[in-house]
Amino acid sequence: MERRKFLKLLTTVPALAATAALVSPLLRFLKPNVERFKITAPTALDAAHGEPIPVATLKEVSNPWDYKYFVFTQKYPQYTPEGFKAANVPGVVIRLPTKITLYDPTTGQGPLGWARDIGKTPKVSESDIIVFSRICPHLGCIYNFVPNYKEVTAGYGGYAPPPPRQHALMACPCHLSIYDPADPQLPGRVLSGPAPRPPRTFLYELQGENIIATDVEPGGIA
Amino acid sequence: MWERVRDWLAERRQKLDLFDETLVARQDNPLYLMGPMLYYFWLITVVTGVILMLWYEPTTTGAYSSIERIQNDIGRLAVTFLGHPVTLGGLVRGLHKYGADALITVIFLRIYRMYFLGEYKKPGELSWILAITGLILGMISGITGYLLIWNQRAFWAAKVVLTVPVYFDQIPVLGPMKFGSMIAFLFLGGPAVGQATITRFYAIHFGVSLVLLILVEVMFQRTRRKRINMSLFPLTLFLIMLIVISIILPAESGRRADPTRTPLPILSDWYFLALYQYVKYTPPLWAGLGPGLLIGFGMLVPFLDRSKGRGPLQRPFFTVVGALAVIYFLAFTALILFNIAVIERDPLIIMNITLVVLVLGLLWELRYRRRLRKAALSGIRPPVRVSAHG
Ligand code: HEM
Ligand code: FES
Repeated sequence: MERRKFLKLLTTVPALAATAALVSPLLRFLKPNVERFKITAPTALDAAHGEPIPVATLKEVSNPWDYKYFVFTQKYPQYTPEGFKAANVPGVVIRLPTKITLYDPTTGQGPLGWARDIGKTPKVSESDIIVFSRICPHLGCIYNFVPNYKEVTAGYGGYAPPPPRQHALMACPCHLSIYDPADPQLPGRVLSGPAPRPPRTFLYELQGENIIATDVEPGGIA
Repeated sequence: MWERVRDWLAERRQKLDLFDETLVARQDNPLYLMGPMLYYFWLITVVTGVILMLWYEPTTTGAYSSIERIQNDIGRLAVTFLGHPVTLGGLVRGLHKYGADALITVIFLRIYRMYFLGEYKKPGELSWILAITGLILGMISGITGYLLIWNQRAFWAAKVVLTVPVYFDQIPVLGPMKFGSMIAFLFLGGPAVGQATITRFYAIHFGVSLVLLILVEVMFQRTRRKRINMSLFPLTLFLIMLIVISIILPAESGRRADPTRTPLPILSDWYFLALYQYVKYTPPLWAGLGPGLLIGFGMLVPFLDRSKGRGPLQRPFFTVVGALAVIYFLAFTALILFNIAVIERDPLIIMNITLVVLVLGLLWELRYRRRLRKAALSGIRPPVRVSAHG
């Protein structure tokens, strides 16, 4: 190797190494909960924590298609000097016309199957009550429960549901994703629009007359 | 290798034309005033921005009220216009907002001019790349500044835009490293839009302008070129126009941000509207990749377009691509303003139109080249490459 080239290499290598060594501390400056020497997978320490709250009474959603909005509060780590932020996760409790399987205890599958990832087991495995997070799984707007499907056709981009789905739907004002809350296989199924998946759901339990939301499926930006 | 890159850069830097400051002879043509006006409007936003900082409060609880006070109370004059008070605060805010709008408009127009007149060709490559970079940074300033008002539109605009990178986690191989979420979290200052987001957006918002301004000045310091190559009359005229608009159409404040209610439809600053319409039509990963590819294409155009001529008719294919981009920008903006979007129908139509137009453009290009070759065979010399601007 030429001498000049060799000397150049000799100076470049430590310079590069120093830069590489700075990446992780720099990231930690911007995002204080990144673990040392890690530059990936930030989500574990960013997990949110919420307190269980009663979101509706059974009487409030006694008939099919009755629904009630509520707001679930979660604490997120936030990179301010105070460190935490309470963020609201709006939700909706819906009484469906028929019972659907929410969780199959033997296989662990079903709409509430995500509970295993946070180390919980759903208390209710089959029900006609379902609780959705209203944060749109597309880009995070708050979607609406629209009791009359004709309003969806009129106001949310002209989607006309086929006869079996001509009932209350959920629709997002931002990019017009439309969801069917009562789809028996996949409640919240995306009927139209850019959303990649059904809305996230809440784990809930029944305590006497009260429906208590305990956890919300993680993911997305609140 | 290194030497070649350095020589290439050195040559381009000599011919660098950030604010059209070398086109002295073209002052009579408004198309060539875009450069100096860019600098002018930029100065206006920076100066008014700094004044706004005196009264603006970057907190979730205080931002909106501080804006309302700037608009209605600070420096109240003894005049009213159509029932609303005229305030110095409102004037400065209007100048900032409309100055920023004018800035973005001028960058857009200048980029289109550079595109259609082939100014990005040698030795203009670097000027072109910097113009595109300027547009991107301007738009970043725009969206970060927009959040500062902390009203409904701003809140949802910020949330939607910063959820887009989360989908980069779906990209094969690179995705599972979660650099997409990382980008979102870094900008938001956490997994939700909150105080940290305002703080970070505030810093980015004026940091981008201030740092860039310093860099530009350091460069100009050595070249002794004029930044604002314009006479005093248009300068005063534009300033008066901005002031008049600020009085007649005070900058909107909208409604205070409400994280539990999304308005229908959501809108944003005008230069993002086309993008918003596009986002309705694509899977979310492409909401991020699409604009990324567009920027990539923009940056690479000087190297992709190997045609000789500079005139729009001398490189039909690229002219067609550019025209298509302009038309889509306008059409998508119109569609979202009228809240028209049929998700089932539109994407197919758009894809088909695009395909047909691109093929037609290609055919045109081929025909043009065949004609050139024929002309060359029959002894007529093809036009030699002219230098930019005669
Ligand atoms: C490229 C440059 C800039 C652009 C495109 C830009 C754009 C914007 C926009 C769109 C808003 C929202 C205004 C509204 O709708 O009411 C805004 C607000 C604001 N900007 Fe800028 N800005 C720029 C530079 C600056 C600079 C350099 C500063 C400070 C040094 C600054 C400080 C502020 C402040 C304090 C606000 C909040 C007050 C308000 O909304 O009226 N900006 N900016
Ligand atoms: S955020 Fe709901 S459809 Fe895009």
